[in-house]
Amino acid sequence: MASEIELVDIQAGYGRAAPVLRGLTVSVPAGQIVCLVGPNGAGKSTVLKVASGLLKPRSGKILVGGVDVTGQGPQRMLASGVAHVLQGHSVFREMTVAENVLLGGYTLKDKALIAERTAFVKEVFPVVAQRWNSLAGLLSGGQQKQVEFARSLMVNPKVVLLDEPSMGLDPKATTTVFEQVVRMRDAGTAVLLVEQNARRALETADLGCVLDLGRVHISGPAPQLLADPQLGELYLGGRPAEPTAIPKR
Amino acid sequence: MPSASEPTTAPATTSPATAPPTGAGTTRRRTADRVVQVVAVVLLAAAVLAFPSLAPNPYILSAGVVVLNYAVLSTSWSFVGGFTGYISLGHGALAGLGGYGTALLVTKAGLPSFVALAVAALLVAALAVPIGFAALRVRGASFVIVSIALVLILLLVFQSWASLTGGSRGLVVPRPFPDLLRPEHHRVFYYLFAGLLALALLAWWMIDRSRFGLGLKAIREDEDKAEALGTPTFAYKLVVFVVSAAFTALGGGLYALWFGDLDPVFQFSILTGSYLVLMALLGGVRNLFGPLVGALVVGIGLEYFKVEFGDTQLHLVATGLLLALVVLFMPDGVLPAIGSLLGRMRPAQNSIREVTAAELRDQRVAAAGAPAAREPVDAVASTAGERAQSTEERA
Repeated sequence: MASEIELVDIQAGYGRAAPVLRGLTVSVPAGQIVCLVGPNGAGKSTVLKVASGLLKPRSGKILVGGVDVTGQGPQRMLASGVAHVLQGHSVFREMTVAENVLLGGYTLKDKALIAERTAFVKEVFPVVAQRWNSLAGLLSGGQQKQVEFARSLMVNPKVVLLDEPSMGLDPKATTTVFEQVVRMRDAGTAVLLVEQNARRALETADLGCVLDLGRVHISGPAPQLLADPQLGELYLGGRPAEPTAIPKR
Repeated sequence: MPSASEPTTAPATTSPATAPPTGAGTTRRRTADRVVQVVAVVLLAAAVLAFPSLAPNPYILSAGVVVLNYAVLSTSWSFVGGFTGYISLGHGALAGLGGYGTALLVTKAGLPSFVALAVAALLVAALAVPIGFAALRVRGASFVIVSIALVLILLLVFQSWASLTGGSRGLVVPRPFPDLLRPEHHRVFYYLFAGLLALALLAWWMIDRSRFGLGLKAIREDEDKAEALGTPTFAYKLVVFVVSAAFTALGGGLYALWFGDLDPVFQFSILTGSYLVLMALLGGVRNLFGPLVGALVVGIGLEYFKVEFGDTQLHLVATGLLLALVVLFMPDGVLPAIGSLLGRMRPAQNSIREVTAAELRDQRVAAAGAPAAREPVDAVASTAGERAQSTEERA
């Protein structure tokens, strides 16, 4: 299956500190949700920062749709089809939902295309259509998250990077948000998902990768990972004695 | 592994039944708001235009010119301060540059007054490119400090370079209409300032509605996020800074032609910049007419206190007191405060939750043709029940 985005043997870190990612390889196939889970400090968010161009890797390669885009900045990555939905609430609170969504399509110049994408995201996220003229800051946490999703879909990205979409949401809103993630996938966008809420995330995802100390320790179909007894141990912060050999796809 | 055939992907309850009435009410309210706004603007414009005929004496008329000058400068300031949230205390210096530029082009280069005004504004706009390029790299408090530094540097230059600027002895600007008597002179300049103000407001309004304006407001909200979404933030800030500088220079230049005498201490004063910020904040910084309303309040207040307390620093104390009162009781500014006061007189607006749980259940029953599995509470949580079931099956 063709990969929308592929990170190959990535080494990355902040400043002069020790690398956070040490030879990480992840690929997101078209039309699939790939979920990264792992303990705090495993490098989950860093993977997304590298993938969206916010952090330049020290070595390794980033391929989007088979094209090498290593070292490009966030705007170029966005143009290549990689949209990043940041951790926490990142709507522009004092602007309307409409303005937020239109900002998502800011790089689009064609008015007809903007209208088409707007209609599309309104259809995928009914809440966005309902609250179109409200100030985004007045929406509930789950609704704001959907506005962010809608904003990221405006550019018709190949892959959307979601950093902890359930952060700060109650279980009900979390359910809604994960449903919307599935809707995004079904609308044709591949998703790379990072979550603390590992069980829920794996239930939603197609593929899962367990990260620890900057490497992928286990990867495979998400249901298979859910059934893995070692996952619990890993997620609680322990480490497996040796990298487990569930064969990669 | 979830697949497209799962019920989770069915369209969520969009509750179309509840949308139309809410929408119609909102539209009606918006139309009413629009009418009120248009009436208010027409009244304001009429009051501004009628003022010279109503002013009892030339002094009051000249005070009106001063207030309009402040309105022009404060509106020009809000191109940067209002849209991008970059608080510049240095706009007094840009006005001073416009004033001196106009004066020097008239006296040294012999240009006609209003040609000199336009050329000076263009020169200041050109100068604003490197100034903005340097200053707009820093944000928040650092930007404020840089903008103050601009004022102080220019003050020193214009005081020391006496051979060109006349230094502290001042610079006399020839009057553009030498045969007009003083009251007529004030009247003509009053209308010139009113025209310039209208031009600045029109430009602000057009930017506010544009794609460019949307990007600028995103910068004000969160510059990093705006950049991540593909807004060319630095270029936008620079362009709007140059536009702001050009209008400020026009205001300063027109002042020079009107007042006829420039002194670096007053032209390059941090106090001027602070007044502009105070006016914009007081009126409502994100509002088209905020700076104008602020200029009316602060400008009239300044003049009144000067008359009342004479040539002492007491008028500054009184102005400070005014600021304190506004910050205490109308922190968002006068116009937003009036807006929320009007809003309070209306019937309560619908809250976040537009449908009750019972209504939602009925809708779902109607939509699905089967009893709902669980009682939904949130309008957005649509198929929580099915979702939970399907995941249980998979696990």
